[in-house]
Amino acid sequence: MAKVIGLVNLHSDITYKGLTERRPVASVSFLGRYGIVDFVLSNMSNSQLDSVGILIQEKPRSLFKHLKSGQSWNFNTKSGGISLLYNEQYANNPKYNHDINNLVENIAFIKESKADYVVIAPAHIITTMDYMDAVEAHEKSGAEVTMVYKKINDADTAFIGGSYLRLKGKQVTEIKTNKGNRKERAISLETYVINTKVLLKLLEYAKKLSSFFDLKDTLAYLCDERNICAYEYKGFARCIDSFESYFNTSLEFLNLDIATQVFKSSWPIYTTTNDTPPTKYGKEAHVKKSFVANGALVEGSVEGSVIGREVRIGKGASIKNCIIFTGSVIAPGAVLENVVVDKHAKVERKTELRGTKEEPLFVREGDVV
Amino acid sequence: MSKEIVAMILAGGRGTRLEALTAKVAKPAVYFGGKYRIIDFPLSNCANSGIDIVGVLTQYESVLLGTYVGSGQKWGLSGTNSMAAILPARERGEVGATWYEGTADAIYQNLNFLDGYDPEYVLILSGDHIYKMDYAKMLEAHKERKAAATIAVLNVSLEEASRFGIMNAKEDGTIYEFEEKPAHPKSNLASMGIYIFTYKELKKYLKADAKLKDSKHDFGMNIIPAMLNDGKKLYAYEFDGYWKDVGTVDSLWQANMDLLADKELDLYNQKSDWKIYTEDTFSHPQIIGEDAVVTNSMVTQGCVVDGEVTGSVLFDNVHVGQGAKVVDSVLMPGVLIEEGAEVYKAIVDEGVVVHSSTVVNKEAKKVELVAKNR
Repeated sequence: MAKVIGLVNLHSDITYKGLTERRPVASVSFLGRYGIVDFVLSNMSNSQLDSVGILIQEKPRSLFKHLKSGQSWNFNTKSGGISLLYNEQYANNPKYNHDINNLVENIAFIKESKADYVVIAPAHIITTMDYMDAVEAHEKSGAEVTMVYKKINDADTAFIGGSYLRLKGKQVTEIKTNKGNRKERAISLETYVINTKVLLKLLEYAKKLSSFFDLKDTLAYLCDERNICAYEYKGFARCIDSFESYFNTSLEFLNLDIATQVFKSSWPIYTTTNDTPPTKYGKEAHVKKSFVANGALVEGSVEGSVIGREVRIGKGASIKNCIIFTGSVIAPGAVLENVVVDKHAKVERKTELRGTKEEPLFVREGDVV
Repeated sequence: MSKEIVAMILAGGRGTRLEALTAKVAKPAVYFGGKYRIIDFPLSNCANSGIDIVGVLTQYESVLLGTYVGSGQKWGLSGTNSMAAILPARERGEVGATWYEGTADAIYQNLNFLDGYDPEYVLILSGDHIYKMDYAKMLEAHKERKAAATIAVLNVSLEEASRFGIMNAKEDGTIYEFEEKPAHPKSNLASMGIYIFTYKELKKYLKADAKLKDSKHDFGMNIIPAMLNDGKKLYAYEFDGYWKDVGTVDSLWQANMDLLADKELDLYNQKSDWKIYTEDTFSHPQIIGEDAVVTNSMVTQGCVVDGEVTGSVLFDNVHVGQGAKVVDSVLMPGVLIEEGAEVYKAIVDEGVVVHSSTVVNKEAKKVELVAKNR
């Protein structure tokens, strides 16, 4: 059997406003219990990849804390495990701080792995993809690179700024930026299968093209001259590329039909344990259509919301269409609608905070309001 | 590698009064509190007290307990200098295959394990009690008094006292008499089954006890009385927190209900930082549906609740369907309460399905154990 390793590519221009001020997209809390990065890591684990490298762009502290020793994602920590790949020399130099330079800096990870193929996938596109299906298609086609795409019909609102593919049969002939001017696109999931040897050559070549070229640019440049194939993924995919799409995608999961597409017992989503007790609901609690993580104490009213670990919601407080992060305290009687409350914040008594669905309010980590 | 103190958890008992709940697992492995197994409490207490070598003595249904405890990683005990070691009754070189004939015999059969750490003190614990306790403080007291043994005791009412092993002690805590389940108790200091022994004393008494044919090889009945007889210094160490021996279906149910009633056992660390560690499950966050009512209950990850849940404790992956009603009940992992079913004052065992329109224990006079699909 071919040896396949994974690379989680955290290099991107994506931010979620205040949520990513002090942490990367990858470790932003998602659905009360996860970090964004858990989905791609779980997919790689469930796809039986031997070893995974994480290409870290910036702000690694909260990511290190989340990943700990990497054991939670069920990789064999002797034969593989998670390696953190970071390029310090470009940390303060955004133009140079791209995936190609990170890979060049950490090339030992690829070389020492003795892998036949490398799967590269981003964290901010949530899927439940079995990468081995793409690897199989890749082996069959004999391509040098296989790009995974999904046919979507909301490309006018989703994946804006991402890439779409022009195809001729299975061959990728062009990679273009999605500017949102059409609904139907073969949208790139920024997930690639590459022969290790090809990847090593590509890294050499990219440097010659432009020092500013990242992997996406390089593939776009090369696709008419190299054998790049496309593989269609038909499962669940959401691109969380802004604060607003983070908010909307989170609340979309409250719809059970969506949630059950992602949470299947055959495809567990792993995350790091926090040893929190079950959530306790008080005598006057009133909870509907919500996701609630463990360790919370809920005494007020919660509807259409995502409640994180160890959140406290006081008596008579009302939470509607909100995302409340770990450890935040909502005092009795406070009223919140369409608000994202970052970790360990405190919303005092009688405070009323109302955002809109289009523009949710944001309360920063640790703030008291 | 020598250690000041090593803990030994007695986890071999079946707990027959828990009926079907211990048909396939030992009592320490029984579920409690929406996410835990009972043995998580002594193991977490050890970890939080800074005790890093913990022997877990198993006998009845030792496989599940053994795999669950593993090397102790769940409780942070699997470092270079720490571990949980499963010590099942087993075949041994000199004596062949033996069972643990009593609590003292179980420790006696593992003296080699203890000798390997050359400990000054040994902490003996029971694997089936629910409480939070700092054993380091108890060890301090033991050392201060240069005791041969220190026994943790709990103030119980005199009526209750005849169900326990009772320590009769002087005002300074010196124990002068031990009575097992006395009909007319003289004191209300009940033994919690938690002992700290100075190891070289313990070893001497265990070896002597092992030679006695008519001994029950039990700490309470044999070792403690023998030490008292010899005038050894034994002290009672008073504990004033929540402690529960969940030996029966009723007491297991009650202990779960205590969590809802905000008794002293504080799992949420609102008063002090003392986490109880347990196995993590890879479940989604709990999903509370559009038609759900959840009040005065504990619900854990993996649950999907679309019915009415009050006064209940729900473990991992419990599903409560639309229009279903769960009142004053404990639903173990994977229980499915189908649409419209009703469950009152019950413990529903792992994986049991209560089919739609079934009504369980509506009269709710006493606790019902539901161990099979209905």
